[in-house]
Amino acid sequence: MKRKILSALLCVAMTATMLAGCGDKADDSKNSDSDTQQEADNNAGDDKQEAADDAGDSEGGGNKLTVWCWDPAFNINAMEKAGEVYQKEHPDFTVDVVETPWDDIQKKLTTAATSGALDTLPDIILMQDNAFQKNVISYPEAFVDLTDSGIDFSQFGEAKTAYSVIDGKNYGVPFDNGAVIAAYRTDVLEEAGFKIDDFTDITWDEYLEKGKTVLEKTGKPLLSCQAGESDVIMMMLQSCGSSLFDDDGNPAMVDNAALKKVMETYNALKEAGVLVEVNDWDQYISTMTTETVAGTINGCWIMASIKTANDQSGKWAITNMPKLVDVENATNFSNNGGSSWAITSNCQNVDLAKDFLASTFAGSVELYENIIESGAIATYLPAGDSDVYGKADEFFGGDAVSAKIVEYAGKCPSNNTGVYYYEARNAVAIAMQNVVQGANVDDELKAAQETVEFNME
Amino acid sequence: MSQTKGAKKRKLSLEKKHNLTGWIFLTPATIMIAVMSFWPMIQAFILSFQTGKANKLKFGGFTNYIRMFQDKDFMQSLSNTFFYLIIQVPVMLILALILASMLNNKNLRFKGLFRTAIFLPCATSLVSYAIIFRSLFGVDGFINSVLIKLGILNTGYNFLGNATSAKIVIIIALIWRWTGYNMVFYLSGLQNIEYSVYEAAKIDGASPMQTFFKITVPLLKPTILLTTIMSTNGTLQLFDESVNLTKGGPSNATITMSHYIYDQSFKYVPKFGYAAAMSFLIFILVAILAFIQMKVGDKRD
Repeated sequence: MKRKILSALLCVAMTATMLAGCGDKADDSKNSDSDTQQEADNNAGDDKQEAADDAGDSEGGGNKLTVWCWDPAFNINAMEKAGEVYQKEHPDFTVDVVETPWDDIQKKLTTAATSGALDTLPDIILMQDNAFQKNVISYPEAFVDLTDSGIDFSQFGEAKTAYSVIDGKNYGVPFDNGAVIAAYRTDVLEEAGFKIDDFTDITWDEYLEKGKTVLEKTGKPLLSCQAGESDVIMMMLQSCGSSLFDDDGNPAMVDNAALKKVMETYNALKEAGVLVEVNDWDQYISTMTTETVAGTINGCWIMASIKTANDQSGKWAITNMPKLVDVENATNFSNNGGSSWAITSNCQNVDLAKDFLASTFAGSVELYENIIESGAIATYLPAGDSDVYGKADEFFGGDAVSAKIVEYAGKCPSNNTGVYYYEARNAVAIAMQNVVQGANVDDELKAAQETVEFNME
Repeated sequence: MSQTKGAKKRKLSLEKKHNLTGWIFLTPATIMIAVMSFWPMIQAFILSFQTGKANKLKFGGFTNYIRMFQDKDFMQSLSNTFFYLIIQVPVMLILALILASMLNNKNLRFKGLFRTAIFLPCATSLVSYAIIFRSLFGVDGFINSVLIKLGILNTGYNFLGNATSAKIVIIIALIWRWTGYNMVFYLSGLQNIEYSVYEAAKIDGASPMQTFFKITVPLLKPTILLTTIMSTNGTLQLFDESVNLTKGGPSNATITMSHYIYDQSFKYVPKFGYAAAMSFLIFILVAILAFIQMKVGDKRD
């Protein structure tokens, strides 16, 4: 009998601690981030529910915003710094950042929107630019229109802002920069008799010829990329302002002269051995860190990965990417990746969220100065004039890389991702793989277009 | 506990009491399975008749079921999955059977060590082993290094960049991962075969091959049937290897049905109705194959 009472007591105690544990979690999330991050995955739903309730209780007077974003060193750091900047003016304001990887944000968003449980969403989410159109068009009810929010969108790079504009309405505040840079190993180029200037403002034809020389003299290809990913293709395509879709959102791959030229260029680079394909991201990074390639072309965020090889400091330089030959509006500038902040319709205090974004990410040069150490380069153009952006980077041969990137971002042509961007990207990647294996470009583009059209039905 | 309960339920007969106890034990699990498993299954079945993007769904009859047979990518994933099934399941089960009968030998030393070594791959996570295989078969991976050092190849061969070799790599990975798992079933099945049967066969002058085919295989039939159905089921639902090892590439040559369903639900503009319909096709295929295997394999009545 004694034992029974004891076990009953234990049960009660266990239940009590469990409940107490839950309560703690909710409280902690306001103060400490480390705990929340670990528990975020399991409890994000609950926490958000409670956070939403909290906000609901304090109608209008709420001064806490919950944010989902990923990467502690980069986006999360930026959001926390933004919170600090805003706190100076609004001392009782708090921002609660929950670390959520992009894939999880997409899944949670899809689940919340399809099941109608929008109250599980936080106030602000960070969204990949490539997925912006898809999500806003699929779930317009989940987002807040920011067009008349007092945010001056003309202060951002045009191409960057275009990702989050749907039907002429702004749904996102542009954040990190995806401006394309071409990074080269100056020591390897020197060995082949070239300087970084020989690769500035060039065309892909010149790139190919010079690349052949570099390969011959040093045995190193100029460029590596992941097989089955269409990053390089998309960068080339956007550099001349062309897209996989027309303005009405219909796939435009067949008879797309720019796209055809891109695929032919890619194929020529691959055949000459100037471009090597690897199978995954880690191998791609290691081609640079282990010095098997003499350069790369990617969004400027790739610099963080290049910099991990400390021993190569001073041996790298950046410049703009080559431009396509015989294509209208071809430029040396493009974009790859990047993300923007969006306010969800679950936000109980939209005015606060709007004002917060307007006075931080869309209004504070100071914020961008604070986060530049982590490599977060602004798409907010006034930040480019800051002294911090003019600072020399020893890793890249003492060049003022940040200012350069802001300049590139301003010149980048915009591109129409459309709703079916991921479908189209995939179809083009498959077409490209077949072309590399020897298939006809026109046939493959036709097949790719058919695939996308089928998926759009 | 039993005392108090006994006092209350004294009117019930012993049999009824036992039955009731049984039901009480069953109820929580039954309710959980019904709510967590069967209810979503019914919901998914209803969903599979709806068409449309995201949450703009409307009833579309058999549209989704017709659509999937016009979907070239899905047909590709279907044929890939069946390719894995037809090659991998027999090879793996035969290998597991051979290993099991070898390890069942009473005179073998270090039996425990071998058993553990062969079973161990099963303890690794699906994602991590897939990633390890990816780096093993990379252009500058371990396998290529060995082949170059041995003088078989001059430069690294891109195993995952070629459709046929990528499929073979997936099959090798699957065999590595699951052979030990099936072997354990066979080993436990072999424990039920009297050793005297083997002794008698030996005395009668049966060769090891004859013992294997005339004694081991027929007596293990129920276990073989079980593992066949389980492996078929597992292979039709193959996901991790396609996603992590090859990413479905090159050109969708290794994509599996589950991977394609995932893409349609989360990577692309979500088409949940269509995804649900494709899931039900897998369900139907598993049911049909299991039924055929039962008919062919189980001759008890």
